[in-house]
This record gives sequence, structure tokens and C-alpha cells, in this order.
Amino acid sequence: MRSAERRLSAAGAALLVATSSDPEHPAGNVADGRSDTFWTTTGMFPQEFIIGFPERVTISRVAIQCYLVRTLRIERSVSKDPVDFEECIEKDLQHTEGQLQMEEFPLPAFQATHLRFIIKSAFDHFVSVHRVIAEGTAEDT
Amino acid sequence: MVKLSAKCLLAGDPAVGKSALAQMFRNDGAHFQKNYTLTTGIELLVKAISVPETSDSVEFFIFDSAGKDLFSEMLEKLWEQPNVLCLVYDVTNEQSFNNCAKWLEKLRAQAVGMHIPGVLVGNKTDLVGRRVVEQKQAQEWADKHGLEYCEMSVKEMKNFEAPFNILAKSFYQLYKEKVEIFHSLA
Repeated sequence: MRSAERRLSAAGAALLVATSSDPEHPAGNVADGRSDTFWTTTGMFPQEFIIGFPERVTISRVAIQCYLVRTLRIERSVSKDPVDFEECIEKDLQHTEGQLQMEEFPLPAFQATHLRFIIKSAFDHFVSVHRVIAEGTAEDT
Repeated sequence: MVKLSAKCLLAGDPAVGKSALAQMFRNDGAHFQKNYTLTTGIELLVKAISVPETSDSVEFFIFDSAGKDLFSEMLEKLWEQPNVLCLVYDVTNEQSFNNCAKWLEKLRAQAVGMHIPGVLVGNKTDLVGRRVVEQKQAQEWADKHGLEYCEMSVKEMKNFEAPFNILAKSFYQLYKEKVEIFHSLA
């Protein structure tokens, strides 16, 4: 798992955009490989963030660690720019009082240049996203 | 600098001054609408205010809702996922005060199991001689239902910012508490 994550970060996976920002809990925290740092949403839903890869990758596993998220939708794009997204999965998460939601998404391997996470609704006014794991390999070019 | 955003449901009987309040707030007291216009459905107004003693702010998306029952089915859809409530009555109209219970029940049904900060607002305090709902009575009702309370006269441009200042403070407090909880999870 770790090596796969390293491969992605070495490949330059980066957070491109997010709808909320608290400078103390920036969205970059979702992609730093740590569970103790997090991104907070700061208001009304839906809220989203987009992670970009510098080139097309094949993703074999997607997981998220978050709190108070109810409905989550994941989309992917294979375009050079973050456009033309299509749905991968939409799921209602269980509320886990006092502990992180650890959610694995059962997806067949797919290609992407961008991943978009849309939090459509929540169990409270605000949610936190602590970590996003996208394991995969860069395509040989 | 954090900018929170809050969906604020503004509700209450017809003609208690909901739209007048919303417009006055948005225009910083620049204009009091003398003519009455019935709101059908919803009017959306957006305005940010700063949270006292912080460098942070709350942007309100105020859903000024029709007071007439006629439009209530449509409202329920538009009221989904609220963050704060502003419930207005007319201090010269007892019925509008009594109906607050009904409004509150409808509003709270939108977010069962969640704490939604709210404020009860008595408007038209300029009509001193016609007042029928006393401050004490309204304050007690608000306390009992977990709401803050304030009075204002939109016509006299008095205190029209108070409800939103109260809501901004409560919502900001909620955010801070939640962030503490997020910290404790890892």
C-alpha cells in the first residue's frame, strides 16, 4: 500500500481544487498520506475536491478516511484538463460515532487523469476528510 | 481567515416582515420597502458578515420563504439541508406568534437529529400602542425551544442586523466545536 501511494505521489498526484478552505485545515491534507491531518468543509453541501495526476494512471484501489460524510460520489476524468467527468460510484456511508469512516470502494481497475470527490450530503453541518488513497500505476509511455 | 457558508431559512407568517428584513440586511439598511409584495416560493439573498472578535466570516444564503401555506409543498424541497433558522413574527399580531410553533416544527423536520441554531425575531416594535405579544412571553417561548431571541423594527432600521449576528456567532461556534472533534479522531 505504502509503495503504491509513494508511486502516485512521486508521479506528482496533487490536489487541484476544493470548494471549502480553512487555512488551518487545507484540502491538501487529504493527499498528504496522513490520517491526523484533515480538510474541513466550511458550509453548505455539496462540497467537492479534485485530485490530479500529471499523466494518465491506472487505478486499482480507491479508499477514503473521513467523518460525518453521508452521500459520496466519485467521478473520474481521462482528459488532460479537469473536465468531462463521469461517475465511478455513488455511495451512502454509515455514520460511525466517534471514529473515522474508513471506506473502500469496490471498483474495477480504471484509468484516470483526475479524480473528483463530491460530498453530496452529510450527517452534520461540517465534515472532515483525512485521507484519500488511490493506488495504481502510471502508464508506460 | 475562514469563510463559512450557511443556508439560512427565513420563515414565519405572511406580512410579518421577512422580506423587508432580508432586503434591509442585504442593503445595509439603505432602503425600506414601503410597498408590500407577497413572496411566492423563495427568494434567495446572499450576504457575508464577519464574526465579532475574529478575522473569520459567515456567508449567509438566505432563503426568504413564502409565508402563505399555499406554497408550502414547494418549500419543503427548497428547505433541504438547512444550517440556521430565522423565525419572524409580528409583535402586533398574536396569531403570527402562535404560528411560530407550526413553523418551527416544519423547519426542524428538515434536519432531524441535527442541532440547527435558530433565532426568534419579534418585528414591528415601532408600533408601540398596538403591541400584543410581550417580550417576556416571547423570550420564554424561545428559551423553551432552544432559540435565541431578539426584537427589531425593520421600518425604523433598528436592530435588523441582530438576528444574523446571533446566527453567525452560533454557527461559527458549531464549526469550532466540530473541528475539535475532527482533531480527536486520528
